[in-house]
Amino acid sequence: MKWNSRTRCAIVCLGFILLFSLFSFRLIYLQMIKHDEYAGLAAEKHVIKQPIFAERGIILDANNDVLAHNIPVETVVADTSRLNNVDATVNLVSDELKLPRAEVSEKLHTDRRYIVLKREVAKVSADSLRQKLRSQNLRGIYFEQDATRVYPNGGMLCHVIGFTDFEHKGIQGVEGSLDEYLHGQDGYRYIEHNRAGQEIVLYRGQERAPRNGYQVHLTVDLNLQNIVENEIDAAMHEYSPKKATIILMRPQTGEILAMANRPAFDLNKRSEAKPEEMKNRAICDMMEPGSTFKIVTAAAALNEHKFSLDSYIFCENGVWNYGGTPLHDHAAFKDLSVKDILVKSSNIGAAKMAVTLGDQKFYEYIRRFGFGERTGVELPGEIPGLIRSPQLWSKISITHIPMGHEIGVTPLQMATAMCAIANGGKLMTPRIVKSITTSDGKTISTLKPVVLRQVVSPQTANQIGIALRGVVSDRGTAAAAAVPGFIIAGKTGTAQKVGPHGSYEKGKEVVSFCGYLPADNPEFVGLVVLDDAQTKPEQNYGGQVAGPIFSHIAEKAARYLDLEPHEEIRKAIPVERVALTNASRH
Amino acid sequence: MSRSRRNWNEVNAASLARWIVLTGFLALSGLCYVYLTLQLYHLGDRKKALENEVANLRMQNEVTSAQIAALTSRSALQRRLKEGYLKMIPIAEHNIVRLSIPNRNPDDAVQPVSNPRSAR
Repeated sequence: MKWNSRTRCAIVCLGFILLFSLFSFRLIYLQMIKHDEYAGLAAEKHVIKQPIFAERGIILDANNDVLAHNIPVETVVADTSRLNNVDATVNLVSDELKLPRAEVSEKLHTDRRYIVLKREVAKVSADSLRQKLRSQNLRGIYFEQDATRVYPNGGMLCHVIGFTDFEHKGIQGVEGSLDEYLHGQDGYRYIEHNRAGQEIVLYRGQERAPRNGYQVHLTVDLNLQNIVENEIDAAMHEYSPKKATIILMRPQTGEILAMANRPAFDLNKRSEAKPEEMKNRAICDMMEPGSTFKIVTAAAALNEHKFSLDSYIFCENGVWNYGGTPLHDHAAFKDLSVKDILVKSSNIGAAKMAVTLGDQKFYEYIRRFGFGERTGVELPGEIPGLIRSPQLWSKISITHIPMGHEIGVTPLQMATAMCAIANGGKLMTPRIVKSITTSDGKTISTLKPVVLRQVVSPQTANQIGIALRGVVSDRGTAAAAAVPGFIIAGKTGTAQKVGPHGSYEKGKEVVSFCGYLPADNPEFVGLVVLDDAQTKPEQNYGGQVAGPIFSHIAEKAARYLDLEPHEEIRKAIPVERVALTNASRH
Repeated sequence: MSRSRRNWNEVNAASLARWIVLTGFLALSGLCYVYLTLQLYHLGDRKKALENEVANLRMQNEVTSAQIAALTSRSALQRRLKEGYLKMIPIAEHNIVRLSIPNRNPDDAVQPVSNPRSAR
């Protein structure tokens, strides 16, 4: 068979057509059918999702003083696959970052592609290392932007502010409870990089901007907090108690103005803190309140109209046998008015009021004052306290609970109950957070005062207030809590400590004073609690230990808040402290 | 004359000009494409450099804010007070003048005003 030139030409053309069709089909297969798969593979090689970290929100006090903020730092990481001179890099990195040479060498002599050499490197050190790496043409060391949390006031307000872990997650205090607001939302950006690892800006892909964390404004006033911290330190120095707590609250709103606990820790050295130092005892510790609890008993009795403020109760000359157990007063009282029962802190008088009231009614008032349930303050780890129901009470419980025994309350619950007396009978939810704003000041949320319930009538609260003014007088148990120029209402408390086996420990007391100022229009309620103060046994009473501390705080706080003194008091009481009398015991 | 005219190829000037223009245009387009692509890379690098600069400035700002917060914190101020750098004298009671706010007639048209905007 002989093919002419035309046929040969056609065969060659057909061959080419087949060949190019094959190429075309392959091209279509690769570019269209397998597009996603190969595009994904290519993207894996070149495209990376670069996170853009959100800044954690700062925490401010009521006057916008910074309590917690961020400092930019860098994390130094290594990619061993890109190291071009391992030994030189080891020497330089260990010198610049002050790391042991052996440790760096061990890390860099592996085939890992992501090794964290050091976290929280200051910007100055990171810049210096970066420059030296560049000048010596060393590769494989990278810097990641990061931030560390800094607390300018160190240990002040440490239990309230709390702290974050190394992943910037809040784990205690406001840092923990408001983590979702403070944390913000990280953004991202898809980028492509060249062989040297540098970003090709031209091929920048999808991008989402980060949302920085919100700013949290606390109700705490740092000036008042400073006063409280200084006084609690002075008390620790003078009495060496095992634990101490001081709270200042605004009774009308439930705002916490200051809160300090001891032992405490430095927030900037949190890794050195012991677990015992980290406890916010104002909300995590339970104590028997002692005689401060008599305000609940008296308020319940007055509110139920079982007694009036001037009703007299026979106080059995100091010993009352009830349920086969003698109940003692610290002095032999005969007939005392309800007012004087509070002023003199008579256990028997308080017990008789509760007995008249009855188990169930008394229990109802205890619960109405908020004991036995969490207050709802914006702090983590709060406990509800321990209030047993009347079915579980012993025969003598009705005589012991009125004087603050057989129950467990937190210091914050006690301060909140006193707020209810100070503000006309309204139980407020204690608040530590004032508002939440964006970094440019736009308000996200403002927390308004919350009235939980009307515990007692305003008349009853007023009557209790009148009685409590007598406590801080030369007739009462807390003459040393007086502040020159002001009328103060308050109640002392002294309770024996309950040991680990459930029995009372001799010679170990929890002393407290809870009061407010000015008595007629309270600006703040203060609670001072000292656990196991080291002082003479005859002086280890709320009025003699906690009372003067309250006085110092109240005097300074009144000056700071520019409260106008009562003229008549200023004339009546000399500037010197009221001398302690023998009555100043409980 | 007629002989030499016969050996010459006739040049279509219009067609040649069209091709020259087309080629020139394509060459120019190519050069423009290369130039603009390079410009894009260059601007990308500049953008990155500016971003780094802004990030550095922001970082410096944060460091400075942190330093200010640390230097004006209560503990720092108290330390300085103890060291004697801050000469603060407590105000004596007799030096404090308290002004009571006068009762205003609600119908009084003349009221003190403040313009918060001007204070910003």
